[in-house]
Amino acid sequence: MQGVLEYQGGGTVLHRAHPLVKLALAAVVCVGGFVTRSLLVNLALLALSICGGFALGLGGKVKSSLKGAGSLCLFLFVVQLPFVRAGRTLVPLPFGLGITDEGLRFCARFAARLLGATLPLVLMLGVTRLSDLTNTLVAQLGIPYRYAFVVTTAIRFIPVLFVEMRDVIEAQTARGVELDGSFTRKIKLIPPLCVPLLVSCAQRMENNALAAELRGFYLRKRGSGYRRYPLTGSDALLLAVCGLVAAAAIIT
Amino acid sequence: MDSLILLEGVSFRYEGAGSRALDDVRLSIAPGEFVGVIGPAGAGKTTLAHTLSGVVPHVRRGDFYGSARVAGLDTVTASVVELSKTVGCVFQDVESQFVTTMVEDEVLFALENFDVPRDEIPARVDRALADLNITDLRSRGISTLSGGQKQKVALAAALALAPSALVLDEATGELDPASSVQVFGLLSQLRRERGTTIIVIEQKIMLLCAYADRLLVMDQGRVVIDGPVRRTLEQPDRLLSLGVNCPRVTTLAARLREKELYHGPPPINLDEAETMVREAMA
Repeated sequence: MQGVLEYQGGGTVLHRAHPLVKLALAAVVCVGGFVTRSLLVNLALLALSICGGFALGLGGKVKSSLKGAGSLCLFLFVVQLPFVRAGRTLVPLPFGLGITDEGLRFCARFAARLLGATLPLVLMLGVTRLSDLTNTLVAQLGIPYRYAFVVTTAIRFIPVLFVEMRDVIEAQTARGVELDGSFTRKIKLIPPLCVPLLVSCAQRMENNALAAELRGFYLRKRGSGYRRYPLTGSDALLLAVCGLVAAAAIIT
Repeated sequence: MDSLILLEGVSFRYEGAGSRALDDVRLSIAPGEFVGVIGPAGAGKTTLAHTLSGVVPHVRRGDFYGSARVAGLDTVTASVVELSKTVGCVFQDVESQFVTTMVEDEVLFALENFDVPRDEIPARVDRALADLNITDLRSRGISTLSGGQKQKVALAAALALAPSALVLDEATGELDPASSVQVFGLLSQLRRERGTTIIVIEQKIMLLCAYADRLLVMDQGRVVIDGPVRRTLEQPDRLLSLGVNCPRVTTLAARLREKELYHGPPPINLDEAETMVREAMA
């Protein structure tokens, strides 16, 4: 998953689009997936995200996201499926449980919604510099800089956490900790892995806050950003796509 | 000459700590001086750097005694932000100093915050990147850089603000030898061309000696030696007893002097060492 949430340069229309338009498009696809009642629309939105991702040159991110979120979706699908009792029973199971047609529809929609909500955000972050996102949130939406900075810093820290986790695992492995084994053994491994991770992350966040303060963080004003983000014709086109997606989700 | 940095009887004990991290430090640094700070681990070097930037006592809390003034600002009453307009810092843990994800954004960050006029910003960014020879990294993500490249980016971000004083706390630790020489050459150039005061905490003592005017040796929170580089290097035994490794050529000079084979000043580079050896052999 490392690198999935990071910006990946490129020259596509979406790379050049206004950050807020990209945010709006991602939000519409995410929310649209939850608003619609049609599984077909859910799948269409998912397909749109996957194809869009490959078209943007972010195929690697799409695959990683599908692998990561897909595993979670599959797990939730399997766990939920026997407990949905509505609908016609297709496969009866012990203890009064069973697989129903309604259960299949519900769990498939749930998985499609979850995947459909993950991908647009990953793609949006893949084509948007976090600083551009922060600048537009502050300059155009009037969100106080410190809040916008906190949001983007939280996103920035996710891959950092993965790197720290990898380092901790490598360090513990080098010291003879065996990471393979039974479930109870893995539970016992949580403290030696998580404590150093938490300590190093807390330290890093403190140093990071200090570095920001030393470089004038608290002086930042709404108009401090150097870059300007004018809306262009292609932004208008993308907004029209947003409208179409929203309409499709509401109608269906 | 008036001091840019003046510390009078500065002592500091971190909250909950038993001993003082700084103990009665008296120090005066003139504008445009290039000062090297050396000493064993735990000597108080980083605390000294934090004192100059106002991190001590504003962020790292504790008991602060004495007076520390930087460019006329009392570091106790002036805010960290006020001080950071004068003092640029690059600290040891370069990884945690990045506040953005892209190289260009990192250099821009402070310029935007300090309201540098818009028309000046592109030139400042270009120059900072060019000075560190990292113009080609401009559009790269920071996470994709090597340790040495990251240190150069952190330095470029500090340089872009054109501070009156630059404090580097082991900021070249991950650089290869050639890049370290390049960075020290740049610092020397900054001092020469812009009159920037340079304070470098460094373990690469030979390199430090080649560029600094003056060396401060710290031990247990105190400045135990403060003087011109050559005079400091004339005490190799004392430096060794403090846990500081003297450059080998300087140690050799001391031994030759003991045997009355050499009478000149301690050499601080290979050329001078060669001259010394020729004199000793003659």
